[in-house]
Amino acid sequence: MGPRFAGRLPNVIGLLARLILGVVLIVAGAVKVTSPAVSARAVQAFQILPFDFAGYVGYALPVVEIAVGLLLVLGLFTRASAVVGGLLMLAFIVGIASAWMRGLTIDCGCFGGGGTIGAAQTQYGLDILRDAGLLACAVWLVARPRTALSLDHRLFR
Amino acid sequence: MRPDASKKLAAVAPKKGPNPAIIGAVVAAVVIVGVVVAIMVGSSGKSGSGPAGSAQPAGVTGGKGGGIFVNAATAKSNAPTLDLFEDFQCPSCAQLEKVMGPEITSMAKAGAIKLVAHTLSFLDDNLKNDSSKRSANAAACASDAGRFLEYHAAVFAAQPEQEGVGYTDAQLTQFAKTSGITGAALTTWQKCTTSGQHAQYVTDVQEASSRAGINGTPTVKLNGADITKTLQTPESLAAAVKAATK
Repeated sequence: MGPRFAGRLPNVIGLLARLILGVVLIVAGAVKVTSPAVSARAVQAFQILPFDFAGYVGYALPVVEIAVGLLLVLGLFTRASAVVGGLLMLAFIVGIASAWMRGLTIDCGCFGGGGTIGAAQTQYGLDILRDAGLLACAVWLVARPRTALSLDHRLFR
Repeated sequence: MRPDASKKLAAVAPKKGPNPAIIGAVVAAVVIVGVVVAIMVGSSGKSGSGPAGSAQPAGVTGGKGGGIFVNAATAKSNAPTLDLFEDFQCPSCAQLEKVMGPEITSMAKAGAIKLVAHTLSFLDDNLKNDSSKRSANAAACASDAGRFLEYHAAVFAAQPEQEGVGYTDAQLTQFAKTSGITGAALTTWQKCTTSGQHAQYVTDVQEASSRAGINGTPTVKLNGADITKTLQTPESLAAAVKAATK
């Protein structure tokens, strides 16, 4: 590969990181935003936050996910969006790990649903693995927010 | 002193795009408004959904949103309390009823347990229908007629194969007849069911149970301890009840 392509590769990796994290956030938010009560109960089922506050988080979370997801897909305010997206993933990982350690048997409710399920149906390990992968995308973008095909580049430079 | 080159520099600098601060502020404002609206919409559905009546059904125990003490007439004073948290649309609850129902019913009738039933309705939100609330209201009306257990059994026996199909009004009425509610009592039951007389109570039960950490159905508690995961056979349940009897 020539030096030109080698120079662009990180931008393409950044584009992929943006799209992966962004699309997953949009999907996760979209499937939950139409059932706020379900989303609220999913957060409450973690039994970490105070009951009422957990409900508000459940109502707000899908909107935040969609907003951050859209910004990432567009490549607008990439670093700030990646910071928020990364913090979300960190919070999810901590929440899921905490539920796992406390022996709760719940669905994470990451893509709708949630609440108590059978012990054999839990998939904490997979959920954490997925969120860790998404966190890696966020970390890349925070460290190197310059990406291919971004609005940031079009508008602000 | 160096000559001032700022004018020259500005002339060759690339044309300035839109101001990031302004766009950022707009984006942030949109997100904040979205979050506030989402919280308001989400919270609004919770209270006062049962304007038709806030009457408590017969047998409610434990204050607002408490379960229905099904067998107050027969329960022995030293019997342990068995709390049953179920949603009429929950397939595993129907399964539990199939396996454990007869034993629970016979223990309730014999007074060996204080049976308290909490009819939850969260599955309406998941399944996007209103069958859990309607059937829970209908069961509360059956409690007024002294036929809760019979009604409860009739609903679960008729639970549709496919989760989410729900129950028609005609089915709810059929369950009442199956439960042995007849004549004037049936008229009263029908009025209570149609008007959603216990709709607020049903909402309160869901709210109170969620607050108590009931995040799934079925949940079975014996003297307050969650024994759902230990339930294997009717015999093991009977043994647990026996062990909990003072």
